[in-house]
Amino acid sequence: MVSLPIEERLAFQGSMLRLLAERSTEADVRRVMETDAGYDPDVWKALAEIGAVGLLVDPEYGGAGAGPLELELVMEAVGAALLCSPLLTSGVLAAGLLQALGDAEANARLLPGIADGSRIATAALTGSAGTWTPDGVAVRARADGEAWGLEGQASFVTHGQIADVLLVAAVEADGISVFEVDPTAGGVAVKPLPVFDHTLRLAQISFEAAPARLVGKQHAGWNAVEEALGLARVALAGEQAGGGRRVLEFTVDYAKNRIQFGRSIGSYQAIKHMAADLLVESESATSAARHAAAQLAAGAPDAKSAVELAAFACADAFVKICADAIQMHGGIAFTWNHPAHLYLRRARADAQLFGAPAFHRERYVAELEAAHG
Amino acid sequence: MANDAALPVTDDSLREEVRAWLAANWTGPLQSEAERKAWVAKVIEARWAVPRWPTEWMGRGLSDAQARVVEREFAAVGAPGTGQDRTNLWANTLLAGGTQALKEKLIVPLLRGDVGMCLLYSEPGAGSDLAGVRTRADRQGDHFVVNGQKVWTSYAAAADYGMLIARTDWDVPKHRGISFFFLPMEQPGVEVHPLRQITGESQFNEVFFTDAVCPAENLLGELGQGWGVLQTALAYERSAMGEGARGPRSGVSEGPGEPLIALAREAGVLSDPLIRQEIARVIALKKLNALNTARAKADLKQGTASALMSLGKLAMSRILHEEARVRTLILGAGSVLEGPDHPRAEDANFLTLNAYFTSIGGGTDQIQRNIIGERVLGLPKEPEVDRDIPFREVRTS
Repeated sequence: MVSLPIEERLAFQGSMLRLLAERSTEADVRRVMETDAGYDPDVWKALAEIGAVGLLVDPEYGGAGAGPLELELVMEAVGAALLCSPLLTSGVLAAGLLQALGDAEANARLLPGIADGSRIATAALTGSAGTWTPDGVAVRARADGEAWGLEGQASFVTHGQIADVLLVAAVEADGISVFEVDPTAGGVAVKPLPVFDHTLRLAQISFEAAPARLVGKQHAGWNAVEEALGLARVALAGEQAGGGRRVLEFTVDYAKNRIQFGRSIGSYQAIKHMAADLLVESESATSAARHAAAQLAAGAPDAKSAVELAAFACADAFVKICADAIQMHGGIAFTWNHPAHLYLRRARADAQLFGAPAFHRERYVAELEAAHG
Repeated sequence: MANDAALPVTDDSLREEVRAWLAANWTGPLQSEAERKAWVAKVIEARWAVPRWPTEWMGRGLSDAQARVVEREFAAVGAPGTGQDRTNLWANTLLAGGTQALKEKLIVPLLRGDVGMCLLYSEPGAGSDLAGVRTRADRQGDHFVVNGQKVWTSYAAAADYGMLIARTDWDVPKHRGISFFFLPMEQPGVEVHPLRQITGESQFNEVFFTDAVCPAENLLGELGQGWGVLQTALAYERSAMGEGARGPRSGVSEGPGEPLIALAREAGVLSDPLIRQEIARVIALKKLNALNTARAKADLKQGTASALMSLGKLAMSRILHEEARVRTLILGAGSVLEGPDHPRAEDANFLTLNAYFTSIGGGTDQIQRNIIGERVLGLPKEPEVDRDIPFREVRTS
């Protein structure tokens, strides 16, 4: 994977931070999360213009051609701002899946629109079991001459209800392949799921003899899915690290300014010690996310275990920071108007997306076993 | 002599000088303790032991960057002996605060490693609250008379001197009435008793003072300013201490790879999903701490102070307690045994107890959380009821 020169990376990060500071304020998040689409098309356009949407897309197809290092930095900022957008869905998961599949025709047709934001793509990779493993795929593909038809159901499809293009993992005779499906075609039914994290959109998609087009080689599908999931997990880890850091910041500020019994509550060890423990969590999450990005970018032999580590460490850290932050705030954070619960909702959703922490811990141990024989 | 103060030293000329000296003097690995001592003496004589120090005390007055040049050249050929201006706690503390007479007497012997030293800081009544020491030093003519008790003193029996903090003024607030001494240990007024730890080992001692005598020239810094000298000494101690705690002590290896995975495999429970989850948690904690430390070092190189530096010890104590817990979980009933026929249980039980070495020693976890909360996160301190009153009015247990 490639990396941009450091100056470009920092300049890019700067424009991302400015955009988010101006256009993804808490008020923006609250407004956008109540809309059906769940994202602000104007902000999406702006994200595309600064190159965030096409960050990972090869310059040949109009993207920035950046890699995991840049992605992780962007996602730290996204997590801190609680941005409502299909960035992870379209720019990371779907773009990453297409590039991993390496189907020149599909890439030329789909990636330019994904990179410039005019086309939103998503990937339907798991059924209602939500395991993000081959045996969790609940869609079957049937060949009908040159054409393919899909049957079954995909669930937890991120931003499925606003996607223009679906990339669907489906089982056929000898393995899993990935298919491109037009969500408006006959035999495709997209049902929005009610989601605890209002800043995220998930859908369940049913297929009944739905017309589909094979992308990439037959049966090579799951390897490509794993590659795309690796990128998505690094992105998510960055989001979790950035989100956790922001929550800790505003919680520590509150502990300094909130006076009870004549002094700041942060002077009490009951609160101070919680904050110190959360700093360990927050810094560890940041280290884990950046390390995973660096190892993946370098194609290091331990890249897989670094990604697994980041996946569960950042997920657990984000949830713990948000949960403890509410307790440290007291009553004010039990109100809807306080942002703490919005972050806890995001943290709980992020912790399940693309595999739960226990799943990643198991894979981490398996990787270490394999590494040491 | 090495260099005239009038001539500025360039990195290049310095590098050449070190290389030439090493080429002429270093003859490869040191085979014995005698050879090591002789080599160190030579390094001191040639003024490479403490190049950052002033020329009057065997140094060269070099900048930190230039001293690193010297250290790199020594490291390149594998020669020890330089860099004592960073690592020699005793000599650095003495240089910073000692009287002319004491420096003339002890600086070179300390650099040569000819003087046994110990730390006389903690007391039974002054652990976390170190400024609450009650060992007293009272001036009588040309010396001080010391009475009281210290604890957690390593190497006390073999020490020639102890770095001592003692109270010399009881009528001022606690931080202002402490003085810092090099106390001669070999005298009738000093008694050393080994202390048995919960692990059964004896690394530490209690030290009792009954009218022990300390010459006035052995006072470091001004009378009553010992807390400041102590801070200098503690900073050298922390930077020299580095990372790490002791591993299993049985010496019976579990085999290659991650020790917990090997242990679980040997115990036949590696396929247990619950155990695998717990193993993953512990290995992850270790890896995350290593990543944090690496990131802190990278920050330091870029010249930005890092919050990460202060987190390592707190993280390490959690790792040690967790590792001991998971080893116990893996062994199950077998963990109730001990002795040479049961090395795995021996390890699990030792680590369970020795984890407190890190979570209590060198500042308890609770004190570390205060430090992180106050110095890193900027949270206010608790009100200190003993801070601004004469020490003799401070409440005790």
